[in-house]
Amino acid sequence: MTTSAFVRPARVRPLPEDAAPVVSLKGVTKRFGKVVANDGISLDIYPGRIKALLGENGAGKSTMMSMLAGRYQPDEGTIEVDGVPVKFSSSKDAIAAGIGMVYQHFMLVDSMTVAENVLLGQEGAFFINPKEMESRVNELARSYGLDVDASDYICDLSMGERQLVEILKLLYRESRILIFDEPTAVLTPEETNRLFEALWRMTEQGKSIIFISHKLEEVIALADEIAILRRGRIEGELDPSAIESKADLASRMVGKEVLLEVNRQPMDLGSLVLEVRNLTGLGLTDVDFSVRRGEIVAVVGVAGNGQKELVEAVTGLVKPPLDTVFIMGQPWRKFFAESTWNRSMCYIPEDRLGLATLRNQNLVDNLLLTTRKGFARGMWLDKKRAERHTVKLIEKFNIRPGRIHALAWQLSGGNLQKAVLARELYREPRFIVAEQPTQGLDVSATEEVWSRLLEARKMAGVLLVTGDLNEALQLADRIAVMYRGRILGMLPTSEAETASRIGPLMAGVLD
Amino acid sequence: MILKIRKRDEPWKWGALVIFLGALLFSLGVSALLLAGQGKDALHGLNILWQGSFGNLWALEGALLKAIPLFLCSLGVAVAFRMQIWNIGAEGQFALGAIGATWMALSFPDLPGYFLMPLMFIMAFVLGGIWAFIPAVLKLKLRVNEIISTLMLNYIAILLLDYMVFGVWKDPTSFGFPMTPEFTSGAVIQGIGGSRVHWGLLFCAVVGIGLWAFMRFTRLGYELKASGEGVRVARYAKIRYGMLVMFVMCLSGGFSGWAGCIETSAVLGRLQPSLMVGYGYTAIVVAWLARLEPLNIAFGSFLLAALRVGVENLQLELQIPAAFGVIMEGMILLVVLAGQFFLMYRLERVTRTKGE
Amino acid sequence: MWEFLIPLFAATVQSGTPILYATLGEMMTEKGGVLNLGVEGIMSVAALAAYLTSYYTGSPWLAFLAGGTAGMAFASLHGFVCITCLGNQVVSGLALTIFGLGLTNFLGVPYVGLPAPGFTPFDFPLLSSIPVIGDIFFRHDMLVYVSFVVPFVFWFFFRRTSLGLHVAATGEMPAAAAAVGLKPIALRYFAVIAGGFLMGLGGAYLSLAYTHLWTNGLAGGRGWIAVALVIFAFWRPGRAVAGAYLFGGVMAFQLRLQAMGTHLPSSLLLMLPYLLTIIVLIFSAWRGRRIDAPAALGTNIEPEG
Repeated sequence: MTTSAFVRPARVRPLPEDAAPVVSLKGVTKRFGKVVANDGISLDIYPGRIKALLGENGAGKSTMMSMLAGRYQPDEGTIEVDGVPVKFSSSKDAIAAGIGMVYQHFMLVDSMTVAENVLLGQEGAFFINPKEMESRVNELARSYGLDVDASDYICDLSMGERQLVEILKLLYRESRILIFDEPTAVLTPEETNRLFEALWRMTEQGKSIIFISHKLEEVIALADEIAILRRGRIEGELDPSAIESKADLASRMVGKEVLLEVNRQPMDLGSLVLEVRNLTGLGLTDVDFSVRRGEIVAVVGVAGNGQKELVEAVTGLVKPPLDTVFIMGQPWRKFFAESTWNRSMCYIPEDRLGLATLRNQNLVDNLLLTTRKGFARGMWLDKKRAERHTVKLIEKFNIRPGRIHALAWQLSGGNLQKAVLARELYREPRFIVAEQPTQGLDVSATEEVWSRLLEARKMAGVLLVTGDLNEALQLADRIAVMYRGRILGMLPTSEAETASRIGPLMAGVLD
Repeated sequence: MILKIRKRDEPWKWGALVIFLGALLFSLGVSALLLAGQGKDALHGLNILWQGSFGNLWALEGALLKAIPLFLCSLGVAVAFRMQIWNIGAEGQFALGAIGATWMALSFPDLPGYFLMPLMFIMAFVLGGIWAFIPAVLKLKLRVNEIISTLMLNYIAILLLDYMVFGVWKDPTSFGFPMTPEFTSGAVIQGIGGSRVHWGLLFCAVVGIGLWAFMRFTRLGYELKASGEGVRVARYAKIRYGMLVMFVMCLSGGFSGWAGCIETSAVLGRLQPSLMVGYGYTAIVVAWLARLEPLNIAFGSFLLAALRVGVENLQLELQIPAAFGVIMEGMILLVVLAGQFFLMYRLERVTRTKGE
Repeated sequence: MWEFLIPLFAATVQSGTPILYATLGEMMTEKGGVLNLGVEGIMSVAALAAYLTSYYTGSPWLAFLAGGTAGMAFASLHGFVCITCLGNQVVSGLALTIFGLGLTNFLGVPYVGLPAPGFTPFDFPLLSSIPVIGDIFFRHDMLVYVSFVVPFVFWFFFRRTSLGLHVAATGEMPAAAAAVGLKPIALRYFAVIAGGFLMGLGGAYLSLAYTHLWTNGLAGGRGWIAVALVIFAFWRPGRAVAGAYLFGGVMAFQLRLQAMGTHLPSSLLLMLPYLLTIIVLIFSAWRGRRIDAPAALGTNIEPEG
């Protein structure tokens, strides 16, 4: 990925000889049932330094940090703070020890004010005064130069502002060790830069920062030290300046040679499968684009800029205004009134367990979810035939566990996504809407999903909605950048400068 | 050594049965204490309860008799619960079914049974269905909480029934008692071979098997099951959720309506307020205990019906208030709910290795 | 006209009082994220507990507290099933109501119709002499006066105390509360038990001030009305007062009509409060916004680790 380069401040930060770690993990192990999430992890965190923790999804990063933050307790090993072994039985203990965490999904109460959120659990007295709380938080924000109004309600804030509130929470608690779990996922490149500057400022005040990410360039730009976590173990620690290439770092993270590039040959374009004409409304403004059979069109942008609304309108979850959306040449209403189960549109949503599958039902019932019309004879369902096809699909897509009676919730994220993909491709779609199709998947599953989508172009046009710019650049023929409900640019990936133009557009900056 | 909570990787296969039996035992234990608290011999009391429920043919007949309305109501409740529509209005829908059947029986007393009986069943289904359809529409169109609307309609239905038997339909020859005239023979469901158990039992079997087959083998049944996992997934799968909710509620209310019809026709032979003995509420207990499965519901209805018969025996012999059975129902359900924790989780002994 | 209206409004306040206590109890519980459909059962049990205490000790105040305590004990059963055992909140509440009604009818049988000392109306010093207002609001028993204060305490608790803030945070997003070191499980227990206390006071009012003797079916659907009123009130105590008096008014009006001997059958009149409940819900669905409800209402907190 080559979005905007981060400007790393010129600073030489060798670790002093006599530096003592503020936090040490010593041989920490954590199991969930049969799964070993963390296996004998040892790690030192030093004051005034940024330690990046790099690893794939499922490598055990979040588990490890949740133990530091007091949410989980290690099964084996110890955590030491200032050289003294500690045992956190809840977040309260960790906070008291000076450890604070900004979770990937913000832990903020939407219906409360900034002040109430920042001071929650730290009000200082039994009786509280909202006005006084607001002034206390405003003062804190001012002293760190953070631009937040304490009387605002969280639900009115942008993702970037919410993150500032989370940081304020830690600052108010005078945390010495700040953990950030994938903090840039919801930020524009511009906001990311500002976050990084704030992090560097904090280290100058002696705070330690743990930065969890799977984005290589961010880690290289930001960190003083990098620790690689793979399958629950520390795979190695290295100095960012000693890194030879990104590919090298990536293969150490994944544990095998990584294809950071896929081989994508352009295909001949076929008929129009999606046409959006001047769609205004539903939080969208003047959206106008089309998708043809044989191509992948990616929609990128910071989360919450209209992608969700667009997907809902296109997939029939929400009714768009008249004559704005045409699918396979038909007006929206007509298409959804008459759509058949196969050779039509399919939707691979971001929420696999809550939306795309029946959590408590087996794989046969989950196959039937969108294909039931294909297995119906009059009012009856041919379950035997559905079972046979389920067996075939399990084999073809290598879904585990390979039993047709496994329930959806028992499948791992990657296998569940493969099951959804198997089902949706079984419908021989002509138009595919794929939303964050590889989010949370490991590299091999990601590669498989990518190749299936590229292959699907033979029969279909694909609308790919993703927050992963790399994915968009790898798969798509054209990339639409969304900002505040508009498409600010439609960029062909065949042009070299496309990659560098996406960042500014995501932040709403037109050239 | 400490106990830790672990999520199960696989569901506990016989867990539901174990928990149910545990709950039953626990509730019997507490009930024995309640009996002792009333100054009765608890063991003697439990024995009377057992004898009254299963001790002889008369008792078993009684249990079967009471199981019929319970089964139908419970089936209705279960279909709605399947879709996570909290229809707790079985009691009211039962009353409306009884009113519908009575209306037909009193309007066409001279029709032969093979005409009159279907009319009664149809009207019972329609009125029961309408009574459930109202909350369904209110929920879909106005987002009115169906728990409260169905419950309020219970109170209203019972008062409506009172209004009918105290007024319009009152038998002039009843010496002022609130009851309708006795039904003509064409409107009465007969007993099977001279026993107290009537042909409604066969009707239950047909309805039960029909529903089971519907849920298992039809597309609509599948869609119903799928919708039970949430509105969002139903929308995703292009299931017409609103239509399905209305359909399911009508079905649910119709089943309870049938229960009301059968009970009025076969057991009382006329409409009177004593018809309402809370089958609609017990049906909720049965449905949940049976984990919403038709076959389990058959067993569950029989069991709780037997409990009711046993408690009647207890009431006769030891002057124990009838509410004794209600206590047990509530308690079994509470304990089962608490016990369901162990279906998803298990407690594990963990020996914590000491770190350095 | 006034001769008719003033006694009617005074009766409104009286019959609205138990509903007010129960509504605030349910609101308290729901603010913490737990739906408690056991109000009807809890009120019945509390009414009996209060009655029995008064019957045997002769002390109405002790009885009033006994009602609250019984409410707490019963609500904590619901708490245990839902918070600790992760049982379904809807069904647990129903089970609690079934259990509670059964228990009340079982234990209350020997006392049906027997009177017990309770609270009697008295003129509140000074305030009762205000024209109209005094006649309507200040010629009641002590429990009514206490109920005037409770909504303010309720409001103050959630707006002006840290514990209130913690409870509300737990009802909105338990994970956020846990992340800052609060104990969502304990906070939910607090909300459920404190709510149970208020429901219990509502039940105690019924036997101690409303009837002064024991009868079956004392709660008479008031618990369910309370559940509906919480929705009507958008989880705000001020509107709960309005809602409770609205129902109090309808109940008082219907009793008055019956007493005056109208030609309308009593069963149709008795339907009024239940019909009104549905109407009130339609009204609040039409007016209200979904965000008023605590975001985590009805969902259980799954254990971690």
